[in-house]
Amino acid sequence: MEAPPVTMMPVTGGTINMMEYLLQGSVLDHSLESLIHRLRGLCDNMEPETFVDHEMVFLLKGQQASPFVLRARRSLDRTGAPWHLRYLGQPEMGDKNRHALVRNCVDIATSENLTDFLMEMGFRMDHEFVARGHLFRKGIMKIVVYKVFRILVPGNTENTEALSLSYLVELSVVAPAGQDVVSDDMRNFAEQLKPLVHLEKIDPKRLM
Amino acid sequence: MQREEKQLEASLDALLSQVADLKNSLGSFIYKLENEYDRLTWPSVLDSFALLSGQLNTLNKVLKHEKTPLFRNQVIIPLVLSPDRDEDLMRQTEGRVPVFSHEVVPDHLRTKPDPEVEEQEKQLTTDAARIGADAAQKQIQSLNKMCSNLLEKINKEERESESGGLRPNKQTFNPADTNALVAAVAFGKGLSNWRPSGSSGPSQPGQPGAGTVLAGASGLQQVQMAGAPSQQQPMLSGVQMAQAGQPGKMPSGIKTNIKSASMHPYQRNT
Repeated sequence: MEAPPVTMMPVTGGTINMMEYLLQGSVLDHSLESLIHRLRGLCDNMEPETFVDHEMVFLLKGQQASPFVLRARRSLDRTGAPWHLRYLGQPEMGDKNRHALVRNCVDIATSENLTDFLMEMGFRMDHEFVARGHLFRKGIMKIVVYKVFRILVPGNTENTEALSLSYLVELSVVAPAGQDVVSDDMRNFAEQLKPLVHLEKIDPKRLM
Repeated sequence: MQREEKQLEASLDALLSQVADLKNSLGSFIYKLENEYDRLTWPSVLDSFALLSGQLNTLNKVLKHEKTPLFRNQVIIPLVLSPDRDEDLMRQTEGRVPVFSHEVVPDHLRTKPDPEVEEQEKQLTTDAARIGADAAQKQIQSLNKMCSNLLEKINKEERESESGGLRPNKQTFNPADTNALVAAVAFGKGLSNWRPSGSSGPSQPGQPGAGTVLAGASGLQQVQMAGAPSQQQPMLSGVQMAQAGQPGKMPSGIKTNIKSASMHPYQRNT
Protein backbone atom coordinates (compact mmCIF):
# COMPACT_ATOMS: atom_id res chain seq x y z
CA MET A 1 0.00 0.00 0.00
CA GLU A 2 1.38 3.36 -0.87
CA ALA A 3 1.97 6.02 1.75
CA PRO A 4 -0.95 8.30 2.53
CA PRO A 5 -0.72 11.80 1.08
CA VAL A 6 1.18 14.39 3.10
CA THR A 7 -1.96 16.24 4.07
CA MET A 8 -3.18 13.22 5.96
CA MET A 9 0.00 12.68 7.90
CA PRO A 10 -0.01 13.87 11.47
CA VAL A 11 1.91 17.06 12.10
CA THR A 12 4.94 16.16 14.13
CA GLY A 13 7.28 18.71 15.54
CA GLY A 14 8.17 22.08 14.20
CA THR A 15 4.76 23.68 14.62
CA ILE A 16 4.74 27.42 14.19
CA ASN A 17 4.06 29.14 17.45
CA MET A 18 1.13 31.40 16.71
CA MET A 19 0.51 34.37 18.93
CA GLU A 20 -2.65 36.35 19.29
CA TYR A 21 -2.23 40.11 19.55
CA LEU A 22 -5.22 41.68 21.19
CA LEU A 23 -6.66 45.11 21.90
CA GLN A 24 -10.01 45.52 23.62
CA GLY A 25 -12.48 48.25 24.29
CA SER A 26 -16.19 48.73 24.55
CA VAL A 27 -18.89 50.91 23.12
CA LEU A 28 -22.25 51.77 24.59
CA ASP A 29 -25.34 50.51 22.81
CA HIS A 30 -26.46 53.89 21.55
CA SER A 31 -23.10 54.54 19.87
CA LEU A 32 -22.97 51.18 18.18
CA GLU A 33 -24.37 52.48 14.90
CA SER A 34 -21.72 55.15 14.49
CA LEU A 35 -19.01 52.65 15.30
CA ILE A 36 -20.34 50.16 12.75
CA HIS A 37 -20.58 52.91 10.20
CA ARG A 38 -17.00 53.95 10.76
CA LEU A 39 -15.76 50.38 10.71
CA ARG A 40 -17.53 49.72 7.45
CA GLY A 41 -15.61 52.60 5.97
CA LEU A 42 -12.24 51.72 7.45
CA CYS A 43 -12.23 48.00 6.96
CA ASP A 44 -12.01 45.84 3.90
CA ASN A 45 -14.95 46.10 1.63
CA MET A 46 -17.05 43.06 2.30
CA GLU A 47 -20.61 42.37 3.23
CA PRO A 48 -21.06 43.15 6.92
CA GLU A 49 -21.01 39.84 8.72
CA THR A 50 -23.05 39.17 11.79
CA PHE A 51 -22.61 36.17 13.96
CA VAL A 52 -24.16 34.42 16.91
CA ASP A 53 -21.73 32.18 18.73
CA HIS A 54 -22.02 30.04 21.79
CA GLU A 55 -18.75 29.75 23.67
CA MET A 56 -18.05 27.30 26.45
CA VAL A 57 -14.95 27.42 28.56
CA PHE A 58 -13.65 24.13 29.88
CA LEU A 59 -11.25 23.65 32.76
CA LEU A 60 -9.06 20.72 33.55
CA LYS A 61 -8.06 20.81 37.18
CA GLY A 62 -4.82 18.98 37.61
CA GLN A 63 -2.40 18.73 40.48
CA GLN A 64 -1.02 22.14 39.60
CA ALA A 65 -2.66 25.19 41.03
CA SER A 66 -3.79 26.70 37.77
CA PRO A 67 -6.25 24.72 35.70
CA PHE A 68 -5.83 24.19 31.99
CA VAL A 69 -8.35 26.22 30.03
CA LEU A 70 -9.80 25.39 26.64
CA ARG A 71 -12.45 27.37 24.81
CA ALA A 72 -15.00 25.67 22.60
CA ARG A 73 -17.07 27.80 20.30
CA ARG A 74 -19.88 26.96 17.96
CA SER A 75 -22.01 28.99 15.64
CA LEU A 76 -25.68 29.26 16.48
CA ASP A 77 -26.70 30.83 13.20
CA ARG A 78 -24.58 28.99 10.69
CA THR A 79 -25.62 25.39 10.37
CA GLY A 80 -22.90 23.04 9.35
CA ALA A 81 -20.06 25.23 10.55
CA PRO A 82 -17.50 23.22 12.50
CA TRP A 83 -16.90 23.73 16.18
CA HIS A 84 -13.84 25.74 17.06
CA LEU A 85 -11.45 24.83 19.84
CA ARG A 86 -8.95 27.35 21.07
CA TYR A 87 -6.18 27.43 23.61
CA LEU A 88 -4.98 30.79 24.86
CA GLY A 89 -1.85 31.02 26.91
CA GLN A 90 -0.93 33.52 29.57
CA PRO A 91 -0.38 37.03 28.28
CA GLU A 92 3.27 37.79 27.73
CA MET A 93 4.21 40.62 29.97
CA GLY A 94 7.41 42.53 30.05
CA ASP A 95 7.65 44.62 26.95
CA LYS A 96 6.04 47.92 27.77
CA ASN A 97 6.56 49.17 24.25
CA ARG A 98 4.40 46.51 22.82
CA HIS A 99 1.03 48.07 22.30
CA ALA A 100 -1.10 44.97 22.29
CA LEU A 101 -1.69 42.06 24.61
CA VAL A 102 0.23 39.07 23.31
CA ARG A 103 -0.53 35.48 24.16
CA ASN A 104 0.12 32.10 22.72
CA CYS A 105 -2.77 30.82 20.67
CA VAL A 106 -3.63 27.45 19.22
CA ASP A 107 -6.76 27.11 17.09
CA ILE A 108 -8.37 24.09 15.58
CA ALA A 109 -11.70 23.21 14.02
CA THR A 110 -13.41 20.16 15.39
CA SER A 111 -16.46 18.03 14.83
CA GLU A 112 -19.64 18.28 16.82
CA ASN A 113 -18.80 15.77 19.51
CA LEU A 114 -16.28 18.13 21.02
CA THR A 115 -18.01 18.54 24.35
CA ASP A 116 -18.36 14.79 24.79
CA PHE A 117 -14.70 14.37 24.06
CA LEU A 118 -13.67 17.05 26.50
CA MET A 119 -15.89 15.65 29.24
CA GLU A 120 -14.41 12.20 28.71
CA MET A 121 -10.94 13.69 28.97
CA GLY A 122 -11.85 15.10 32.34
CA PHE A 123 -12.59 18.71 31.45
CA ARG A 124 -15.50 20.38 33.14
CA MET A 125 -17.38 23.36 31.83
CA ASP A 126 -16.56 26.45 33.82
CA HIS A 127 -18.78 29.02 32.20
CA GLU A 128 -20.46 29.73 28.92
CA PHE A 129 -21.92 32.69 27.13
CA VAL A 130 -23.50 33.67 23.87
CA ALA A 131 -21.83 36.30 21.74
CA ARG A 132 -23.86 38.15 19.18
CA GLY A 133 -22.36 40.80 16.97
CA HIS A 134 -20.52 41.93 13.88
CA LEU A 135 -17.27 40.91 12.30
CA PHE A 136 -14.95 43.06 10.20
CA ARG A 137 -11.59 42.44 8.62
CA LYS A 138 -8.75 44.67 7.58
CA GLY A 139 -5.87 42.73 6.10
CA ILE A 140 -4.80 40.35 8.82
CA MET A 141 -6.60 42.30 11.51
CA LYS A 142 -9.92 41.08 12.73
CA ILE A 143 -12.32 43.45 14.42
CA VAL A 144 -15.21 41.95 16.32
CA VAL A 145 -17.98 43.96 17.96
CA TYR A 146 -20.22 41.78 20.05
CA LYS A 147 -22.55 41.71 22.98
CA VAL A 148 -22.03 39.14 25.68
CA PHE A 149 -25.15 37.36 26.83
CA ARG A 150 -25.31 35.43 30.04
CA ILE A 151 -26.93 32.04 29.76
CA LEU A 152 -29.49 31.76 32.50
CA VAL A 153 -30.12 28.08 32.23
CA PRO A 154 -26.99 26.07 31.53
CA GLY A 155 -27.17 24.64 28.07
CA ASN A 156 -30.15 26.67 26.99
CA THR A 157 -28.97 29.21 24.51
CA GLU A 158 -32.40 30.68 23.91
CA ASN A 159 -32.82 32.00 27.39
CA THR A 160 -30.15 34.66 27.61
CA GLU A 161 -29.73 38.02 29.15
CA ALA A 162 -27.31 40.75 28.18
CA LEU A 163 -24.44 41.16 30.55
CA SER A 164 -24.17 44.93 30.22
CA LEU A 165 -25.33 47.84 28.13
CA SER A 166 -22.19 47.83 26.06
CA TYR A 167 -20.73 45.95 23.19
CA LEU A 168 -17.24 44.56 23.53
CA VAL A 169 -14.90 45.59 20.73
CA GLU A 170 -11.88 43.41 20.06
CA LEU A 171 -9.10 43.99 17.56
CA SER A 172 -7.02 40.88 17.14
CA VAL A 173 -4.34 39.48 14.91
CA VAL A 174 -3.09 35.92 14.89
CA ALA A 175 0.47 35.92 13.65
CA PRO A 176 3.62 33.89 14.12
CA ALA A 177 5.67 34.72 17.18
CA GLY A 178 8.10 37.56 16.97
CA GLN A 179 6.27 39.86 14.63
CA ASP A 180 5.90 42.82 16.90
CA VAL A 181 5.43 45.25 14.05
CA VAL A 182 1.89 43.92 13.97
CA SER A 183 1.14 45.69 17.21
CA ASP A 184 2.17 49.01 15.67
CA ASP A 185 -0.31 48.51 12.86
CA MET A 186 -2.96 47.64 15.40
CA ARG A 187 -2.25 50.77 17.38
CA ASN A 188 -2.53 52.92 14.27
CA PHE A 189 -5.86 51.39 13.47
CA ALA A 190 -7.03 51.85 17.02
CA GLU A 191 -6.19 55.56 16.72
CA GLN A 192 -8.68 55.82 13.90
CA LEU A 193 -11.47 54.60 16.11
CA LYS A 194 -10.94 57.21 18.80
CA PRO A 195 -12.83 58.89 20.37
CA LEU A 196 -15.70 56.50 19.71
CA VAL A 197 -13.96 53.63 21.41
CA HIS A 198 -10.66 53.37 23.21
CA LEU A 199 -8.93 50.15 22.29
CA GLU A 200 -6.20 49.31 24.72
CA LYS A 201 -4.45 46.32 26.14
CA ILE A 202 -6.30 45.21 29.19
CA ASP A 203 -4.63 42.69 31.43
CA PRO A 204 -7.31 40.26 32.62
CA LYS A 205 -5.32 39.43 35.75
CA ARG A 206 -5.82 42.98 36.95
CA LEU A 207 -9.55 42.48 36.86
CA MET A 208 -9.71 39.29 38.83
CA MET B 1 17.06 46.46 -13.48
CA GLN B 2 14.34 43.86 -13.83
CA ARG B 3 13.62 43.88 -10.12
CA GLU B 4 13.25 47.63 -10.11
CA GLU B 5 10.80 47.49 -12.95
CA LYS B 6 8.76 44.90 -11.15
CA GLN B 7 8.86 46.98 -7.99
CA LEU B 8 7.77 50.01 -9.92
CA GLU B 9 4.86 48.17 -11.42
CA ALA B 10 3.77 46.70 -8.15
CA SER B 11 3.93 50.02 -6.35
CA LEU B 12 2.08 51.71 -9.19
CA ASP B 13 -0.67 49.14 -8.89
CA ALA B 14 -0.93 49.65 -5.17
CA LEU B 15 -1.00 53.40 -5.66
CA LEU B 16 -3.69 53.11 -8.32
CA SER B 17 -5.97 51.06 -6.10
CA GLN B 18 -5.46 53.42 -3.16
CA VAL B 19 -6.22 56.44 -5.31
CA ALA B 20 -9.27 54.73 -6.76
CA ASP B 21 -10.55 54.04 -3.23
CA LEU B 22 -9.91 57.63 -2.27
CA LYS B 23 -11.74 58.87 -5.36
CA ASN B 24 -14.71 56.69 -4.57
CA SER B 25 -15.00 57.87 -1.02
CA LEU B 26 -14.60 61.49 -2.08
CA GLY B 27 -17.29 60.95 -4.68
CA SER B 28 -19.70 59.43 -2.20
CA PHE B 29 -18.98 62.21 0.29
CA ILE B 30 -19.73 64.86 -2.32
CA TYR B 31 -22.89 63.08 -3.30
CA LYS B 32 -23.92 62.95 0.33
CA LEU B 33 -23.27 66.65 0.78
CA GLU B 34 -25.10 67.67 -2.35
CA ASN B 35 -28.12 65.44 -2.12
CA GLU B 36 -28.70 64.80 1.54
CA TYR B 37 -27.62 68.08 3.05
CA ASP B 38 -30.88 68.61 4.91
CA ARG B 39 -30.71 65.21 6.56
CA LEU B 40 -27.00 65.21 7.20
CA THR B 41 -25.78 64.81 10.76
CA TRP B 42 -22.39 65.77 12.10
CA PRO B 43 -21.39 62.21 13.05
CA SER B 44 -22.02 61.13 9.51
CA VAL B 45 -19.83 63.92 8.16
CA LEU B 46 -17.21 62.99 10.73
CA ASP B 47 -17.34 59.41 9.53
CA SER B 48 -16.68 60.47 5.97
CA PHE B 49 -13.78 62.61 7.10
CA ALA B 50 -12.39 59.76 9.17
CA LEU B 51 -12.65 57.51 6.17
CA LEU B 52 -10.85 60.00 3.96
CA SER B 53 -8.13 60.54 6.52
CA GLY B 54 -7.70 56.81 6.91
CA GLN B 55 -7.32 56.38 3.19
CA LEU B 56 -4.87 59.25 2.92
CA ASN B 57 -2.92 57.61 5.70
CA THR B 58 -2.71 54.31 3.85
CA LEU B 59 -1.76 56.18 0.71
CA ASN B 60 1.07 57.83 2.58
CA LYS B 61 2.15 54.52 3.99
CA VAL B 62 2.21 52.97 0.55
CA LEU B 63 4.33 55.81 -0.73
CA LYS B 64 6.71 55.58 2.21
CA HIS B 65 7.01 51.83 1.98
CA GLU B 66 10.57 50.68 1.56
CA LYS B 67 9.72 48.64 -1.50
CA THR B 68 8.42 51.69 -3.32
CA PRO B 69 11.02 53.15 -5.67
CA LEU B 70 11.51 56.89 -5.68
CA PHE B 71 8.91 58.17 -8.07
CA ARG B 72 10.76 61.43 -8.18
CA ASN B 73 13.40 59.77 -10.28
CA GLN B 74 10.90 58.79 -12.94
CA VAL B 75 9.98 61.16 -15.75
CA ILE B 76 6.85 61.00 -17.85
CA ILE B 77 7.24 62.33 -21.38
CA PRO B 78 4.30 62.51 -23.74
CA LEU B 79 5.30 60.90 -27.01
CA VAL B 80 2.31 61.61 -29.19
CA LEU B 81 -0.23 64.39 -28.87
CA SER B 82 -3.30 64.20 -31.07
CA PRO B 83 -6.59 66.08 -31.11
CA ASP B 84 -8.46 62.87 -31.99
CA ARG B 85 -10.51 60.90 -29.52
CA ASP B 86 -8.64 58.00 -28.01
CA GLU B 87 -10.89 55.10 -27.09
CA ASP B 88 -8.30 53.35 -24.97
CA LEU B 89 -7.70 56.45 -22.90
CA MET B 90 -11.44 56.92 -22.50
CA ARG B 91 -11.78 53.44 -21.13
CA GLN B 92 -8.85 53.71 -18.75
CA THR B 93 -9.92 57.02 -17.31
CA GLU B 94 -13.59 56.04 -17.11
CA GLY B 95 -14.59 58.59 -19.69
CA ARG B 96 -13.01 61.56 -18.03
CA VAL B 97 -10.17 62.20 -20.50
CA PRO B 98 -11.33 61.66 -24.07
CA VAL B 99 -8.46 63.34 -25.87
CA PHE B 100 -4.73 63.32 -25.23
CA SER B 101 -4.10 66.72 -26.67
CA HIS B 102 -2.03 69.78 -25.85
CA GLU B 103 -4.82 71.16 -23.65
CA VAL B 104 -4.99 68.17 -21.45
CA VAL B 105 -1.30 67.39 -21.05
CA PRO B 106 -0.13 70.46 -19.12
CA ASP B 107 -2.77 69.85 -16.47
CA HIS B 108 -2.31 66.13 -16.12
CA LEU B 109 1.45 65.84 -16.39
CA ARG B 110 2.18 68.90 -14.30
CA THR B 111 5.00 68.60 -11.81
CA LYS B 112 5.32 72.20 -10.67
CA PRO B 113 2.55 74.37 -9.29
CA ASP B 114 0.76 77.04 -11.32
CA PRO B 115 2.90 80.08 -12.23
CA GLU B 116 0.72 82.32 -10.04
CA VAL B 117 1.01 79.93 -7.15
CA GLU B 118 4.74 79.70 -7.70
CA GLU B 119 4.99 83.48 -7.60
CA GLN B 120 3.10 83.62 -4.34
CA GLU B 121 5.24 80.94 -2.84
CA LYS B 122 8.42 82.75 -3.87
CA GLN B 123 7.03 85.91 -2.31
CA LEU B 124 6.34 84.12 0.93
CA THR B 125 9.80 82.59 1.11
CA THR B 126 11.51 85.92 0.49
CA ASP B 127 9.37 87.53 3.20
CA ALA B 128 10.25 84.80 5.61
CA ALA B 129 13.96 85.10 4.87
CA ARG B 130 13.78 88.88 5.29
CA ILE B 131 12.61 88.82 8.88
CA GLY B 132 15.70 87.19 10.23
CA ALA B 133 16.17 84.14 12.41
CA ASP B 134 15.62 85.77 15.83
CA ALA B 135 12.39 87.51 14.98
CA ALA B 136 11.14 84.35 13.37
CA GLN B 137 11.92 82.39 16.52
CA LYS B 138 10.07 84.94 18.65
CA GLN B 139 7.04 84.73 16.40
CA ILE B 140 7.05 80.94 16.58
CA GLN B 141 7.17 81.04 20.35
CA SER B 142 4.31 83.50 20.63
CA LEU B 143 2.22 81.38 18.27
CA ASN B 144 2.87 78.30 20.38
CA LYS B 145 1.98 80.18 23.55
CA MET B 146 -1.27 81.45 22.07
CA CYS B 147 -2.21 77.96 20.90
CA SER B 148 -1.59 76.43 24.31
CA ASN B 149 -3.57 79.22 26.00
CA LEU B 150 -6.46 78.56 23.68
CA LEU B 151 -6.28 74.84 24.32
CA GLU B 152 -6.31 75.38 28.06
CA LYS B 153 -9.33 77.64 27.81
CA ILE B 154 -11.20 75.09 25.73
CA ASN B 155 -10.35 72.26 28.11
CA LYS B 156 -11.44 74.30 31.09
CA GLU B 157 -14.74 75.09 29.42
CA GLU B 158 -15.23 71.45 28.56
CA ARG B 159 -14.53 70.31 32.10
CA GLU B 160 -16.82 72.90 33.61
CA SER B 161 -19.69 72.18 31.29
CA GLU B 162 -19.34 68.43 31.71
CA SER B 163 -19.65 68.73 35.46
CA GLY B 164 -22.96 70.42 34.80
CA GLY B 165 -23.96 67.41 32.74
CA LEU B 166 -24.44 69.44 29.62
CA ARG B 167 -23.03 66.83 27.35
CA PRO B 168 -24.43 63.45 28.20
CA ASN B 169 -24.14 62.20 24.67
CA LYS B 170 -20.39 62.65 24.57
CA GLN B 171 -19.83 59.35 26.32
CA THR B 172 -19.62 56.65 23.72
CA PHE B 173 -18.09 54.07 25.98
CA ASN B 174 -18.05 53.24 29.62
CA PRO B 175 -14.72 52.08 31.07
CA ALA B 176 -16.44 50.15 33.83
CA ASP B 177 -18.36 48.23 31.20
CA THR B 178 -15.15 47.57 29.33
CA ASN B 179 -13.61 46.03 32.41
CA ALA B 180 -16.72 44.00 33.17
CA LEU B 181 -16.92 42.64 29.65
CA VAL B 182 -13.24 41.82 29.45
CA ALA B 183 -13.42 40.04 32.79
CA ALA B 184 -16.48 38.12 31.64
CA VAL B 185 -14.85 36.94 28.45
CA ALA B 186 -11.47 36.24 30.00
CA PHE B 187 -12.51 34.19 33.00
CA GLY B 188 -16.26 34.23 33.30
CA LYS B 189 -16.75 36.91 35.91
CA GLY B 190 -20.43 37.61 36.18
CA LEU B 191 -21.40 34.80 33.84
CA SER B 192 -21.66 31.96 36.26
CA ASN B 193 -23.04 34.08 39.03
CA TRP B 194 -23.79 31.14 41.23
CA ARG B 195 -20.22 30.04 41.17
CA PRO B 196 -17.63 31.96 43.13
CA SER B 197 -14.03 31.47 42.08
CA GLY B 198 -12.84 27.89 42.12
CA SER B 199 -12.55 26.14 45.41
CA SER B 200 -15.67 27.29 47.21
CA GLY B 201 -17.77 25.86 44.42
CA PRO B 202 -18.03 22.37 45.85
CA SER B 203 -19.40 23.63 49.14
CA GLN B 204 -22.51 25.00 47.49
CA PRO B 205 -24.28 21.86 46.27
CA GLY B 206 -24.66 20.61 49.81
CA GLN B 207 -27.29 23.23 50.53
CA PRO B 208 -30.69 22.24 49.32
CA GLY B 209 -31.89 25.82 49.81
CA ALA B 210 -34.21 27.19 47.21
CA GLY B 211 -31.91 30.07 46.48
CA THR B 212 -29.20 27.80 45.30
CA VAL B 213 -31.31 25.50 43.26
CA LEU B 214 -29.58 26.23 40.07
CA ALA B 215 -26.35 27.01 41.85
CA GLY B 216 -26.33 23.48 43.08
CA ALA B 217 -27.03 22.13 39.67
CA SER B 218 -24.14 23.72 37.93
CA GLY B 219 -21.79 23.38 40.86
CA LEU B 220 -22.43 19.69 40.84
CA GLN B 221 -21.87 19.54 37.16
CA GLN B 222 -18.46 21.05 37.52
CA VAL B 223 -17.27 19.19 40.56
CA GLN B 224 -18.88 15.88 39.82
CA MET B 225 -16.09 13.94 38.31
CA ALA B 226 -16.87 10.38 39.26
CA GLY B 227 -20.35 10.51 40.75
CA ALA B 228 -23.24 9.35 38.64
CA PRO B 229 -25.91 11.90 37.83
CA SER B 230 -28.56 9.87 39.55
CA GLN B 231 -27.25 10.96 42.90
CA GLN B 232 -28.96 14.31 42.45
CA GLN B 233 -32.11 15.48 44.10
CA PRO B 234 -35.04 14.23 42.06
CA MET B 235 -36.24 17.75 41.32
CA LEU B 236 -33.05 18.48 39.48
CA SER B 237 -32.68 15.22 37.72
CA GLY B 238 -34.10 16.53 34.50
CA VAL B 239 -31.58 19.35 34.47
CA GLN B 240 -28.73 17.14 35.53
CA MET B 241 -29.31 14.60 32.81
CA ALA B 242 -29.16 17.21 30.15
CA GLN B 243 -26.13 18.85 31.70
CA ALA B 244 -24.10 15.72 32.12
CA GLY B 245 -24.67 15.20 28.45
CA GLN B 246 -23.80 17.90 26.01
CA PRO B 247 -24.19 21.35 27.51
CA GLY B 248 -24.36 22.85 24.11
CA LYS B 249 -27.17 20.73 22.75
CA MET B 250 -30.04 20.92 25.16
CA PRO B 251 -33.25 19.82 23.54
CA SER B 252 -36.01 22.35 23.90
CA GLY B 253 -38.18 20.05 25.96
CA ILE B 254 -35.97 20.56 28.99
CA LYS B 255 -36.62 24.26 28.89
CA THR B 256 -40.20 23.86 29.95
CA ASN B 257 -39.23 21.29 32.51
CA ILE B 258 -37.08 23.60 34.56
CA LYS B 259 -38.77 26.84 33.80
CA SER B 260 -40.36 26.98 37.21
CA ALA B 261 -37.07 26.27 38.92
CA SER B 262 -35.13 28.84 36.98
CA MET B 263 -37.49 31.76 37.48
CA HIS B 264 -36.12 32.50 40.85
CA PRO B 265 -35.73 36.01 42.26
CA TYR B 266 -32.41 35.38 43.97
CA GLN B 267 -30.28 34.56 41.04
CA ARG B 268 -30.49 37.68 39.00
CA ASN B 269 -29.34 40.27 41.41
CA THR B 270 -25.91 41.07 39.86
